Amino acid sequence: MQALEKTQASETIDTRRLTGWSPKVLLRDAGIGLALLLLIVFFSLGTEHFLTPNNISNILTQITINLILAVGMTFVILIGGIDLSVGSMLAFCAVVGGTVLTIPDLPVFQAVALATLAAVGTGVVCGFLNGWISAFWGLPSFIVTLGMLNIARGAALQVTDARTIYSFPPSFNAFGSQMIFGIPVVFLIALVLVAIAWFVLSKTVFGRLLYGIGNNEEAVRLAGHSLMFYKVAAFTIAGALVGIAAMVYMARLNIASPIIGIGFELNAIAAVIIGGTSLNGGRGTVIGTLLGACITGVLANGLILFGLSDFMRQMITGVVIILAVIIDKYRERLTGV
Amino acid sequence: MKLSRFASIVALTVATALPTIAVAADKPVVGLVMKSLANDFFKNMLEGAEAHAKKRGDYELKAIGMQNETDFESQLNGVENFITQGVDAIVIAPADSRAMVAPLKKAMDAGIVVVNFDVSLDEQAKKDAGVDLAFVGPDNRGGAKLVGDALAKDLGNGGKVVILEGNPGADNAAQRKLGFEDAIAAGKLDLLDSRTAHWETEEANAVFSTMLTAHPDIQGVLAANDSMAIGVVKALDAAGRSDIKVVGFDNVPAVAPMLKDGKLLATVDQFGSEMAANAIDKALAVVAGGPKLEGWVKTDIKLVTKDDVK
Repeated sequence: MQALEKTQASETIDTRRLTGWSPKVLLRDAGIGLALLLLIVFFSLGTEHFLTPNNISNILTQITINLILAVGMTFVILIGGIDLSVGSMLAFCAVVGGTVLTIPDLPVFQAVALATLAAVGTGVVCGFLNGWISAFWGLPSFIVTLGMLNIARGAALQVTDARTIYSFPPSFNAFGSQMIFGIPVVFLIALVLVAIAWFVLSKTVFGRLLYGIGNNEEAVRLAGHSLMFYKVAAFTIAGALVGIAAMVYMARLNIASPIIGIGFELNAIAAVIIGGTSLNGGRGTVIGTLLGACITGVLANGLILFGLSDFMRQMITGVVIILAVIIDKYRERLTGV
Repeated sequence: MKLSRFASIVALTVATALPTIAVAADKPVVGLVMKSLANDFFKNMLEGAEAHAKKRGDYELKAIGMQNETDFESQLNGVENFITQGVDAIVIAPADSRAMVAPLKKAMDAGIVVVNFDVSLDEQAKKDAGVDLAFVGPDNRGGAKLVGDALAKDLGNGGKVVILEGNPGADNAAQRKLGFEDAIAAGKLDLLDSRTAHWETEEANAVFSTMLTAHPDIQGVLAANDSMAIGVVKALDAAGRSDIKVVGFDNVPAVAPMLKDGKLLATVDQFGSEMAANAIDKALAVVAGGPKLEGWVKTDIKLVTKDDVK
């Protein structure tokens, strides 16, 4: 009896078809890529400056933070969860990292290393708590991370007494706007994170079990895997990425304020959803998330170049999010993935 | 039986509590209603008020703040609590220039001296409610004109500029934009684009980078607060453009180094830390029997440039 259950379970969690191995999934990502391409063509023809090296590197810089947060969000959404706390956590990680970074008389290299450790550590702790609390008590992550949204924001304000931290080491500051062949270094960091996430999700047993949990939690449990471990891991990974995003924020803008990042969680969720990941979990890729982040970034930039008003811009962004989900619905029916 | 006992306990508590309030009130009590304390500007203002209360020593200060800029429900509750406590004066930086009119009228009807500072209540809403209330505060439009003029003087006629606006719908954002436009008209500048970045550093950085792509010939930037000006300065650093002049507003500590090395041309100080204390002085004068405040009591604003930074 138990053996039978186990076989059924391992069948259900054979998720190769969902994780970037099958032609169908590649086709799906290609579809999102095509949408991005159409947008790029549209803006290139419609505006004078869109397809210039400078503007491209601007867009890449502008999407970097959202992309890093969205990669973490992909892990969480794939297991059928959601993380509403990343914006607040970004502020908390930034002020903790920023405090370390401004310790007087510390050599730059050590200061940056310690600050990164502190920022990522803060993210890991918050993410761990998100995952552990929701898994241990079986609570919806929506509510737990809503709680963390307030805890992290309050903590950021408490730590800094609501003050902005500034004057980071000049070389750290310069790093934030460094380019290699016209590509921002911070974006390259984000790309490396995307590559690692892609590998983990599609090439490892760990990644496949995350998909499995999103598809059929019970089956994974019956197959003898600890749900607790995988859930906590997904949220902790998301938290660690928030810490990295916080360091990028500080390198780019040379400040750390407890009120930054308000609403960033929604931008990250939008990128993941536009990238074709299902909010129900179990379906989607991190490559899709990369494309989704590019689409939101290209839209934000292109619509300004187009001379559209701020209010129209906001409306169009909303329309695109809804369209993406509708298209996804049809895609699911047509291709079965 | 149980209920009536409960009621008598409540009655007793209230009866004993009320005289305590009345006795303690030999010193006038001032209820200070602030905006978001998660903001340097209001934080400084509150600290200024607390220091002021300690220094004067002849009044009792009770302060409340809000969670964030748009959370006017807690302001509403705060005002009602102050009315219940029977404070002598309420000094308020309203979160919403219309929503706060009704509760403040209630306070005035209860004989409390009300002074409105920081952001002025809406004239029409005041008229509709039949409230006559003075405003103690800076001239946001005048301040924006001041810093805009400094930019115009630096650029000369025909200088090409863009504006970064605050939150759409916020009164001070609208006033500052008007002030910038006054300066643009007076200095015969050429306004290329005007967009909101919601007071935010990161958003200002992204929005301005894109504006610069669309208009590489920008010569000057008018940012409606310093947080956005910081984002602009960073975008200029990244783009390697040191020829573009930036002005901000608020004079937050983080811009001092930028003023010093010329990355920020000028900003405006409206003495936020003294603003609440000033309004409290005005309220106490009325409580002590002074004449009623009328119209707009303008507070100091000052242009801050490189020369003011040590």
